[in-house]
Amino acid sequence: MVARAAAGDRAAFGTLVQRYAGVARRVAHAVLGNPEDADDAAQDAMLSALVKLEQYDRRRPFGPWLLRIVANAATDRRRRRTVRRAEPLDPGFVAGGPRPDTTAERRALAERLREALAELPERRRMAVVLFDVEGYSHGEIAEILRIPEGTVRSEVFHARRRLRALLVDWKEDG
Amino acid sequence: MRDPTLFDHRRDPVLGEALRRALDPEDGEVGNAAFVARVLARAAEVPAPSWDHVLARWARAGVAAAILVAVAAGYFVGRAGVAAPAPRPTMTDVLLSPPAHPREVEIVLASVIDNQ
Repeated sequence: MVARAAAGDRAAFGTLVQRYAGVARRVAHAVLGNPEDADDAAQDAMLSALVKLEQYDRRRPFGPWLLRIVANAATDRRRRRTVRRAEPLDPGFVAGGPRPDTTAERRALAERLREALAELPERRRMAVVLFDVEGYSHGEIAEILRIPEGTVRSEVFHARRRLRALLVDWKEDG
Repeated sequence: MRDPTLFDHRRDPVLGEALRRALDPEDGEVGNAAFVARVLARAAEVPAPSWDHVLARWARAGVAAAILVAVAAGYFVGRAGVAAPAPRPTMTDVLLSPPAHPREVEIVLASVIDNQ
């Protein structure tokens, strides 16, 4: 598929984009904290990958290679953009106030998780998302983020500790 | 939820699912399809590599491989062509072997004898 895409087969490239759209959008969202910016970054990354396909070493897995480009595109965009502050949380949610239904509850939890993610250092954020959401191994994440595997373990550990505490609080509040 | 340990290599499905929900765009699959369409529309503006470009790439690789083979072959042929240094003759060889220019030696001896 990659070889065909590299040879100019746009249908093959389309299949690749379709396969990795979800993960690319999520990883970019984790870095940027804003879905519109995330989509722009993910799109830049996909187009950058298309241009660089010739450089891809086909003996290695494609996912980490692509996600490295996505992570770089998102990081670059975050550095370039003016800092946008997320909308403040509804005080009711912060105080563990009443939650009318499950959908609203889930939405509120998601919002709190995004807030908590935004507080984490960028590398830590990406590490935990790639590990617990996308299922990449520590070794693959080390390759994506270009950091030692031990550092990945440490980043995932610290991110989990913070996020799990939030989840536990949420359950206790409920 | 499991207790976090530094070297836990297993995914945490509860945290993973919660994070996925937090990061998944609200437009879901429809949004993914729209995203793919948007990327492909932009990709259409990127010139696709033409056949001559692809062939040129292969040709470059072929020429590089041929040069490599030629250099290696030249090295091995050159190495084989260099004669090994002749072994130094032993004293016995020198004494037993016939003189290199026997006739010249005879002429010299004859002229010496004639002069006497």
